[in-house]
Amino acid sequence: MPRTGVFVCWCGSNIGGVIDCPGIAAQAAGFPAVVHSVDYKYLCSEPGQNMIIQAVREHRLDRVVVASCSPRLHEETFRKVLARAGLNPYLVEMANIREHCTWVHGAEKEQAQAKALALVRRAVAKANRLEPLFESTIPVTKRCLIVGGGIAGIQTALDVADAGHEVVLVEREPTIGGNMVKLDKTFPTLDCSACISTPKMAAVAAHPDIRLYTCAEIEKVTGYIGNFEVTIRRKARYVDHEKCTGCGTCWEKCPMQVPSEFNAGLGQRKAIYIPFPQAVPNKPVIDREHCRYFTTGKCQVCAKLCPAGAVDYEQEDEVFTEKVGALVAATGFQLFNWSRVYGEYGYGRYPDVITGLQFERLVNAAGPTGGKILRPSDGSAPRTVVFIKCVGSRDESKGRSYCSRICCMYTAKHALQVLEKVPGAQVYVFYMDVRTAGKGYEEFYQRAVREGVVYVRGRVSKVYRDGERLVVRGVDTLLGRPVEVDADLVVLATAVEPAAGAGETARLLGINADRDGFFQEAHPKLRPVETHTGGVFLAGACSSPKDIPDTVAQASGAAAKVVGLLSREQLSTNPMIAQVNETLCTGCFLCVPVCPYKALERRKITELLPGHPPREREVAGVNPGLCQGCGACNAVCRAGAVEVRGFTNEQLLAEVDALCL
Amino acid sequence: MKSTLETLRKEAAHLLKEERVKFVIGYAQGTDLARTTPFFAANVRQAGMLTWTPFCVYSLVKYLLDFRYDDIRLAVVVKGCDSRAVNRLVQDNQFARERVVVLGIPCGGMLDREKVLRVVEPAAALLEAEDRGTEYLLKTDCGEFCFEKQETLLAKCLECEHNVPVVADRMVGPKVPSPARPGMDRFAGVRELEALDTAARSAFWDRHFARCLRCFACRNVCPACNCKECSLERAVPGWQQGVCWLSKRTSLGLNHMFHLIRMYHVTGRCIDCGECARVCPVNIPLRELYRKVAKDANELLGMSLPGLDPEEKPLLTTYQATDPDEFM
Repeated sequence: MPRTGVFVCWCGSNIGGVIDCPGIAAQAAGFPAVVHSVDYKYLCSEPGQNMIIQAVREHRLDRVVVASCSPRLHEETFRKVLARAGLNPYLVEMANIREHCTWVHGAEKEQAQAKALALVRRAVAKANRLEPLFESTIPVTKRCLIVGGGIAGIQTALDVADAGHEVVLVEREPTIGGNMVKLDKTFPTLDCSACISTPKMAAVAAHPDIRLYTCAEIEKVTGYIGNFEVTIRRKARYVDHEKCTGCGTCWEKCPMQVPSEFNAGLGQRKAIYIPFPQAVPNKPVIDREHCRYFTTGKCQVCAKLCPAGAVDYEQEDEVFTEKVGALVAATGFQLFNWSRVYGEYGYGRYPDVITGLQFERLVNAAGPTGGKILRPSDGSAPRTVVFIKCVGSRDESKGRSYCSRICCMYTAKHALQVLEKVPGAQVYVFYMDVRTAGKGYEEFYQRAVREGVVYVRGRVSKVYRDGERLVVRGVDTLLGRPVEVDADLVVLATAVEPAAGAGETARLLGINADRDGFFQEAHPKLRPVETHTGGVFLAGACSSPKDIPDTVAQASGAAAKVVGLLSREQLSTNPMIAQVNETLCTGCFLCVPVCPYKALERRKITELLPGHPPREREVAGVNPGLCQGCGACNAVCRAGAVEVRGFTNEQLLAEVDALCL
Repeated sequence: MKSTLETLRKEAAHLLKEERVKFVIGYAQGTDLARTTPFFAANVRQAGMLTWTPFCVYSLVKYLLDFRYDDIRLAVVVKGCDSRAVNRLVQDNQFARERVVVLGIPCGGMLDREKVLRVVEPAAALLEAEDRGTEYLLKTDCGEFCFEKQETLLAKCLECEHNVPVVADRMVGPKVPSPARPGMDRFAGVRELEALDTAARSAFWDRHFARCLRCFACRNVCPACNCKECSLERAVPGWQQGVCWLSKRTSLGLNHMFHLIRMYHVTGRCIDCGECARVCPVNIPLRELYRKVAKDANELLGMSLPGLDPEEKPLLTTYQATDPDEFM
């Protein structure tokens, strides 16, 4: 029979102000196996903790029930107390009589008293059946793999590598840099985006501890925290980067013209190309889909001209694996494809209705117009520019329900840039709300208003063409009047959404995505860069829309978590994970597909039964490195062969009995 | 049915002679006219004792479980309803498909023993049974008897959905028309119960569950119940038993628990063969209980009748990247 001690905490007046704690303690003394039962003002305080330790020694307690707050808050505290008292730390059970009782039943004291007592009875029933649990250790591979080479991935890579751990950076585009390097200036300081991001890109390329794979994607992830094995496919670039010097002869002479992805379709590039002059690595790739040699079988101009003989049409995809201890998802964002759904803005038929990112390229000195704001249709300078905000954001019927967070600020920036670059221009901004939370953001917006940007509160109902000009028809909801503006250029602040393929990445990494496809943090407030899968971290806009300061901050946060993990020689595993009773397991393997962490696997065992020859059969097995103890396998196992330690069927049934019988 | 029987015996003899299987699990004539018995034919002579009459009611598939860990091959005779049980065991990884030769017999329905014995002397010897489409003709040494199918078949046969086995390595005998009542609705009984108000429905099940003896016949016969050790009947002595799902005591509350737990365990897995209701000694309409969850699974999750396809994904175990999962 266990010797259980019950400790009822007042939590000052949080609990003690509603229920009669000494009464609970007195009644709990009569529960099965309870040999000691007391109450105290603050159990989590130093004297409170010492009181428990003393009681354990004096009364030879081997199970402890703490009736206080949520285990999320103080379970760890009391486990440490038990360890200090010389008991196995997992022999403590908490009864949450604060969040589950006094906080919500403050007005009905009598019933709260009864409920608190029931909760304590439940905890005692479980505590009596608790078993000591032991942590085990797993080794750590001191390397980190980062998926995505935007500013988030770059920052994480640099921070982790600077801490002395090797980093593998995987980027699917031919260059790193992501979306940030496409931008012209950054709000609110208006410093040049490329000037602050290209040095970081160069630092990645030059860092001895960073291994950079561009044109590469992850294909498979196996293993668990500290010991992942990632299969990477590096797509054929048809240029041997070992030989290539990046001299540029090949793309000078390439006869093909292809819309440039880097310039958001506004400029042209060649079929053998570098995305932009400061690309990292600064060596070209061949776009097989548009290359004349690959499409017609004739050409080979680049191969003939290349002084280094680096063009290799026979190059094939490489597939290889990397062993790492931590993974970081930094897959970033893309812009919502507005042209599919926004018929009122012309479904993308009008060339002079562009997105914010296209505007960034137009206004960028390295962009297709050399930094002059010109209409894509006829190359003339626009006199009137209309910005429409929340295109796809905060629009559940056509786009996304959330606020994309960055549009208010970059629209203010764009408006100022128009005023600065086109003297005498008229700028209108149609908005729903202006949200400027951030250091110096509101001041920046006020500056735009001061300098003459006309903010019209209301949505645009229609954009249509009238001759050379576009007519923007909307409503000013503050004046309650319809508004019509003749515009030369319309810029849409389209919603931020997870990058294409983010869902597939989530699946590969074994992490969850929310309704909108953004990766789910382990806790939105307290664990924002971690995921529910151990060893997988998040950086940047893959978890929610973020501006650059937040992205970089989060990337450094993720790096700190990675470094924290990789600095350890060994990891102790959570012992509250699933275990399989191999005798009961029938080998139906329903637990395998339901496990969100891929922690269950088939194992062959040899059973020795009296009177039978040894027989081999397959049963389920738990990988302790992967299991997070969620219990999905437990629920699906009819035979009751899989149980979660610390939450066994017997323990849970005892709790139910204590509450209901 | 005579030619079917001959083909069956020939197939069985062939399998045993070639030593392709250790046993052919089939039916043999039982102790009276309207009874058959499970029969394990181990040699050619015994293959000649196999029988096929309108009284081969029960499913033989579960006998495979007795050999699940033995390294032998077996043949088993199945009707349409039982054939789904083969897929059930294969899907649950309890029996490798290549270890069993399925001898499928298209079935014209099974006669209700009680109704037959009201007319025919039990001691009469069955000489031949003839399936005439809408009726059975039984030739016995006491004369010939004709049984209208719609009147005398088992209830489950009148609701038959697959009278031709859905899985068979050898199809024995010609295809016969389904004995199902035209326009029958598998969920009609469930709909009737659903139409009752909560109190009436509760009273209905109380009335039935109160009779339950907890004899475990429903579990023993069920092909979806293939655990090594049933979680409702742990082989742990009482003094060692801590808290368990159910105590041994039979009471209305515990009987409810028993049947509801069993219902959840067969959800998405019950092949609706109707054996549970047939074997129940106190006639609890168990089939309606399991059909209720089958109906819900069908309406809410698009689950079709389990056991038709061994490759089908079990209920609630499939995952798509597009599934919402913010609750995790």
